[in-house]
Amino acid sequence: MKKAFAVTLGILTAIGGFVDIGDLVANALVGARFGMSLAWVVVVGVIGICLFAEMSGRIAAVSGRPVFDLVRERLGPRAGVVNLAASFFVSLLTLAAEIGGASLALELATGVNYLLWVPGVAFVAWVVMWRVKFETMERVFGLLGLVLVVFAVALWALGPDWGELAGQLTSPPQAEGAPTYWYYAVALLGAAMTPYEVFFFSSGGVEERWTRKDLAVARTNVFVGFPLGGLLSLAIAACAATVFLPVEAEVETLGQMMLPVGLGLGKIGLALVILGVFAATFGATLETALSCGYTLSQYFGWQWGKLVRPVEAARFHTVLLVTVVLAAALILTTIDPIMVTEYSLVFSAAALPLTYLPVLMIANDPDYMGDHVNGRFSNALGTFYMLLLTVVAVAAIPLMIATKAGQ
Amino acid sequence: MRAREIHAGLHLLDRQVVRASTGRLVCKVDDLELSGDPPHVTAILAGPLALGPRLGGVPGRLMVAIAELLSPQEHPRPWRLPMHLVTELGGAVEVGGDPEEPALEAWARRNIVAKIPGSGAEEEPRERPARHGQAPAARLGAYLGKPVLDSEGKLVGSVADVRLRQDGPLLMEVQQAFTVADLIVVPHWHSRLFGYERGPGGRAPKLVSAIIRGRFAGGRLVPWDQVETPAPPAFRLNVPASRLAPLTDLYEPDPRRG
Repeated sequence: MKKAFAVTLGILTAIGGFVDIGDLVANALVGARFGMSLAWVVVVGVIGICLFAEMSGRIAAVSGRPVFDLVRERLGPRAGVVNLAASFFVSLLTLAAEIGGASLALELATGVNYLLWVPGVAFVAWVVMWRVKFETMERVFGLLGLVLVVFAVALWALGPDWGELAGQLTSPPQAEGAPTYWYYAVALLGAAMTPYEVFFFSSGGVEERWTRKDLAVARTNVFVGFPLGGLLSLAIAACAATVFLPVEAEVETLGQMMLPVGLGLGKIGLALVILGVFAATFGATLETALSCGYTLSQYFGWQWGKLVRPVEAARFHTVLLVTVVLAAALILTTIDPIMVTEYSLVFSAAALPLTYLPVLMIANDPDYMGDHVNGRFSNALGTFYMLLLTVVAVAAIPLMIATKAGQ
Repeated sequence: MRAREIHAGLHLLDRQVVRASTGRLVCKVDDLELSGDPPHVTAILAGPLALGPRLGGVPGRLMVAIAELLSPQEHPRPWRLPMHLVTELGGAVEVGGDPEEPALEAWARRNIVAKIPGSGAEEEPRERPARHGQAPAARLGAYLGKPVLDSEGKLVGSVADVRLRQDGPLLMEVQQAFTVADLIVVPHWHSRLFGYERGPGGRAPKLVSAIIRGRFAGGRLVPWDQVETPAPPAFRLNVPASRLAPLTDLYEPDPRRG
């Protein structure tokens, strides 16, 4: 009974934790412009994140080593430092976007300008990381993020022409050029497979002291939770496709992204979706800030984690403090948080192979894994994703320049 | 019984050092200190002064310059952890004893973290004398990527990894030292082997393995007694390239099949 409870809780947490500002923005933008024609990318992204999250979770459980440890160990100091710079930059940018997203949700709830909320959000996020236990933190915000299910309910209430939505799956709108289509495909893949998710997932596994016994639970969380999170992403896209695509309206603000829920479910729906967006972005604020600390500490070999008192992980906690201040400062320059999100997605797509290659290598290393090395299926799929991610990484920045970031 | 053999780059360098008693993280194996002839590993080196030279380029030099600027010592040396403290080599390197704290951690704690309420700070931690290197010793990191010339002065390749054998002199009467046994030489510059030079055990996925193994197809294994002068800037061998053993001799039996 207790175990069933743990599994359910883990799955729910994974669903809520999957959706962050990146998924929200990318899916709403894409839904409004391309309908459901990019839904296949979400599916590809979800399978990819399941695959690599499972590998990194297995490595964490068997050898007790988190992902960035492996990056440094397998790629060496030079390629490792390149990856560190890229991952840290992307996580910092994402952190800024999440703080902006949480503040925007508060603006929608209260009417007070989001810039006034930024320092408060940043401060509360830091206090939570300073004092609250890892498990409590992960559960509370993961479960609150589950409120985003209102997107699925709203979609049903909107009563779209399901045949029309299904028809969009295979035919992109003619008005958009191929480069723009592929640019948003890259952004969607970046949203589903952001590297910070595996940094956070595997470091969390180490913090919670996973052993081989926890493997089954970790796997269930990944294989059930992430796909359900992906369905939530698709619901967001479908809502935008139902409301905005027929009138050819562009989605530019977070408020517009929540509008379909208001149309479908009225005031209560709107209140719930604001709560859900706040919980999801605030939870992701914690995840991205911690990921900044994890990557830097694990590259240099510093003591990290929330299991020890802050004085015993002084450098780690200093990094957390500094990154939260930097990210808040970036948003306070009045830069558009939605634009920051889009850029962070494309940059993270470009950084993907450097993170996932060492994971794939270590998951095959019998010195680390013993009997738990990858099976043939994982390896075939892993090889396919390495090729795909390499192509995506090479294409990401040129596509961004060629399409003027999707305009 | 055959002495234990490991690859310095694969099994030691860049791994996490963990305190065996508490599981606390100490540092990374940023470099290894070598002494004697044939050279054997006497200590793990860590910190920016050990990592900087291995990073190389502008970032590496910058790291060293900043660390030297901020260090209170006149001739700063890398942080040093004697090899006899090592109790286990696995996914992480476990060490016994009570290693002193790195300067940056102490600084960050004293000046930032301990001043914030709720940090858990109780008392001023005791200051212990720093254990830094005495004489400027050779470092294993300097071997990697170095060119190798045969007896006729022809370029064989560059050092990709160093094979260590645990048959050296006793360290503090606890364990035998790891001596430099062979150089793994590959025809490309800055080639990493990613562990795919080992036996049939760790050779999946096939495509990744094939690409990496293809890059060191002409690799050579050079025993230390074939090395004449280990002096910089290159290793000079005492045999012609044609008499060097190919890298295929490195295969270990697959541990899963006993």
